[in-house]
Amino acid sequence: MNRALRRISIAVLVMFLLLLINVNYLQGFETASLATEPGNSRAFYAAQNQYERGSIVTSDGETIAASKPSTGSNDSIKYQRYYPGGAAYAPVTGYDTLYSQTGIEAAENSLLSGNDSALDVRKFIDLITGKSTKGATVQVTINSAAQTAAYNALAASGKAGAVVAIDPSTGKILAMASYPSYNPDVLATHDGTQLIKLDNQLLADKSQPLLNRALQGTYPPGSTFKIVTSSALLTQNPGTTINTNVDSPTQLTLTQTSHVLTNDDGEACGNGSGQAPLITAFAQSCDTTFAKIGEDLGASSLNAMATKFGMNNPNLTVPLSVAQSNYTIPASLALTAYSAIGQFDDTVSPLQEAMFSAAIANGGTLMKPYLVQQVTASDLSTVTSTTPSVLSQPVSSSVASDVGKMMLAVVQDSDGTAYSFNQNVVGVEIAGKTGTAQNGVNNSGLDDAAFTCFAPYANPKIAVGVIIQGGGYGATAAAPIAVKVIQAYLKATGNQ
Amino acid sequence: MSSITAPSPAVDPNNPLVPGGRSRRRTELIMLVFAFALVAFAFASVGFSLKGTLPSRTAEYMGAYIVIVLAAHLAMRRFAPWADPLLLPLAALLNGLGIVMMYRLAAQVDPNTGSPVLSASATDIQILFSAVGIACFVAVLAFIRQPRVLQRYTYTFGAIGILLLALPALLPGSISEVPGTGAKIQIRFGTLITFQPEEFAKLALAISFAGYLVAKRDVLALAGRRVLGIDLPRARDLGPILVAWAASLLLLIFESDIGTSAVFMGLFVAMLYIATSRTSWLLLGFIMFVVGAFAASKLVGHVGERFDIWLHPFTGSNPENNAYQLVQGLYGMASGGLLGKGLGGGQPYLTPLVQSDLVVSAFGEELGLAGLMAILLIYGLIVQRGLRTSMLVKDPFSKLLAGGLSFMLALQVFVIVGGVTRLIPLTGITTPFLSQGGSSLVASWILIALLARLSDTARRPPPRSIQEEGLTQVVTLK
Repeated sequence: MNRALRRISIAVLVMFLLLLINVNYLQGFETASLATEPGNSRAFYAAQNQYERGSIVTSDGETIAASKPSTGSNDSIKYQRYYPGGAAYAPVTGYDTLYSQTGIEAAENSLLSGNDSALDVRKFIDLITGKSTKGATVQVTINSAAQTAAYNALAASGKAGAVVAIDPSTGKILAMASYPSYNPDVLATHDGTQLIKLDNQLLADKSQPLLNRALQGTYPPGSTFKIVTSSALLTQNPGTTINTNVDSPTQLTLTQTSHVLTNDDGEACGNGSGQAPLITAFAQSCDTTFAKIGEDLGASSLNAMATKFGMNNPNLTVPLSVAQSNYTIPASLALTAYSAIGQFDDTVSPLQEAMFSAAIANGGTLMKPYLVQQVTASDLSTVTSTTPSVLSQPVSSSVASDVGKMMLAVVQDSDGTAYSFNQNVVGVEIAGKTGTAQNGVNNSGLDDAAFTCFAPYANPKIAVGVIIQGGGYGATAAAPIAVKVIQAYLKATGNQ
Repeated sequence: MSSITAPSPAVDPNNPLVPGGRSRRRTELIMLVFAFALVAFAFASVGFSLKGTLPSRTAEYMGAYIVIVLAAHLAMRRFAPWADPLLLPLAALLNGLGIVMMYRLAAQVDPNTGSPVLSASATDIQILFSAVGIACFVAVLAFIRQPRVLQRYTYTFGAIGILLLALPALLPGSISEVPGTGAKIQIRFGTLITFQPEEFAKLALAISFAGYLVAKRDVLALAGRRVLGIDLPRARDLGPILVAWAASLLLLIFESDIGTSAVFMGLFVAMLYIATSRTSWLLLGFIMFVVGAFAASKLVGHVGERFDIWLHPFTGSNPENNAYQLVQGLYGMASGGLLGKGLGGGQPYLTPLVQSDLVVSAFGEELGLAGLMAILLIYGLIVQRGLRTSMLVKDPFSKLLAGGLSFMLALQVFVIVGGVTRLIPLTGITTPFLSQGGSSLVASWILIALLARLSDTARRPPPRSIQEEGLTQVVTLK
């Protein structure tokens, strides 16, 4: 039997050798690849807790997210994240929880947590000098006055919606607010059970507080899309000016259908003659005029212009990802007519609304919107900083100037849809476009209110896009919020 | 009457195969002191890491542990003075590390749930069962003075083993199913006490196999035809292996316990091979198990799922669902790396069932590759001492039993550690001495007691001749 026993012993030896080799492979060679598995919460935890996480500050120096030493006695996590910016800044900061991150916390995570390779040299110096390493500070382009005004105005309206403000000449995002929002502070808890409970509550909330509507929500643009339609018309027909009379019937029977399109409340356009200057039709937002223009231009022309304004772009990031704003080429001329007035399947994000005005305000050049101004290491040296870049050139400067004049008429002409916000009332010359978009199945939902504008007209400093879900008229629900943001920003920056 | 003088059996300390004249109990005590020191350091390491100080209860735990292990040592001196000196210290060290891990898991709050993986009493319960296990160890040494006594009860042990194995399958799931696993392997008394009969069934069956195979080994070894260079057994001699195979498959299908099924089949086949030295049994047993397991994997969803988890743990929704436990264990060991996070420094609480099936992953995470290899080598040494005993011992029953028990321990370690480290599919069986759970701990101590008794028999010097040399012929039978 000893011969068999010896063989069994060899088999046992082989079994143990296999175990030892496998364990060596697992813990010696496979550690790096296992650490990068997306579901590896240990690796996540280790990376998040190695250094004190850096702060997030606004362009004017207000801290909106920071870390401090944990106070709990049994707390295995060294630092506690807190958000002085609260709900108003939640779409910007996002959250950093035990399990995941969103917003800037996610987009700049490696720099904030101190694990980015760009910080290696500084970490080495810290090691030698004995200083404790800290994550980098991220300065966002947000202006605190504009952001606060935007969130407060949204909250005061009590309706779901979002505001984005851009500096037209650079693309800096000056404000980005969404309502209803949530307070990221409560999600920073180190109590996992509590966190899961809160997270489930927020996820179940019908009002979707976790949704950053400013970037991730898309809504029908309604008449604000007439900026695109006008731009396409003026670009394609150099003979047409803003004073050219265009067909503006009170009723328009759409091509190849018996469907009759009317203006809001069946109103006549201009003097009711069936012809009106383009600028008048724009200021009064005559649907029949622009539907007719849309049919004449054709869908591919509208599609090309919409794309140049930043729509149909699935890859836009600021660096937070932005939901694609869509212009879908309709199958019929009748639907093309609807698409020209921002209905049919047109959808835009509030950021896209701001980009319409920003391009016009900046002489036809659309700057790429961005949210991160610069990143500084704990020794205050700059790690990265963003240089403004051109996203596209949707229109020539002369067309931009023409469209700008028409947008000015919307606010400053006595029969413009947003006349109630003229310079005499609000103290600054605003140029804008209102939008009131039908939505829901068979347009059963409340109209979405949209407004896009820039100011001051002569020397644009800020472009704003506002969308209020179920707000009704753009001029009454969305425009007042944009005005508040403009006033607050211009006052804070000493331009008013 | 011719007088042939033969030399009395010489004691040759240089030849390990000849029983030595030293009992080596002092060596055992010194080795035990090493084990105590390691366990004490482990306790201190957990305390300083989690609480920043030596927790007050560690002294009590350490004291209780030392007392029960020293009791086992005294029993060895009294009842098995010639037993292998390494068996007890190695088992005691593993037992101690298991207690430390229970303490460590109970001492840290899991931030995901707000409470520790184990209740505070887990350490006390583990120590209590260690005491029960060592009491059984002492009882086995005290009552079984000759291993051959067990041979008389071949069929009794066989019946007990089969009954213990079959019991959970016959009982309703509410009593026998381990919650959340689908495996019917326990018997629950009330809400607190559970008993895993298979742990003891394996021991009873090892004894029964040894008795049966010793009786039948000649016919199983010799009869048959030679085909393609392999000696095939006769069809009518296939009975025992078919019974064992059927039992292991029933275990697989009715109790969803593939791990124990593999250990059980492996044990039988290995003992059959040791008894007969006939490779064809090995081949036949292996093929039968693979075919059976493959068929079962098609029939029983549970088994097929195990294979999918093993081959594709990171694919699709597997990491969050079916393979969650395995994957968390792998992450834990990966985060431990070469030297580990230190006891109390890792996050073993993230791994489900880390206190029982995946306890090895907790050691890998906190003691690192170095610690895990040391633990594997401790198991390897116990198995090696057992196999060496089976080589030394003369009587065929003892030889078979020692070989079978050693191989069973090796196979069990291979199945669970291989499963946790993704060498083979993960199946839920306990890790001897380290896992939480009384049945496994008590059964493991009984196994060590049997090995100690066998090695005591093997190493005991033969009685010396009392006659004057030269008057009587003394013949040594080897």
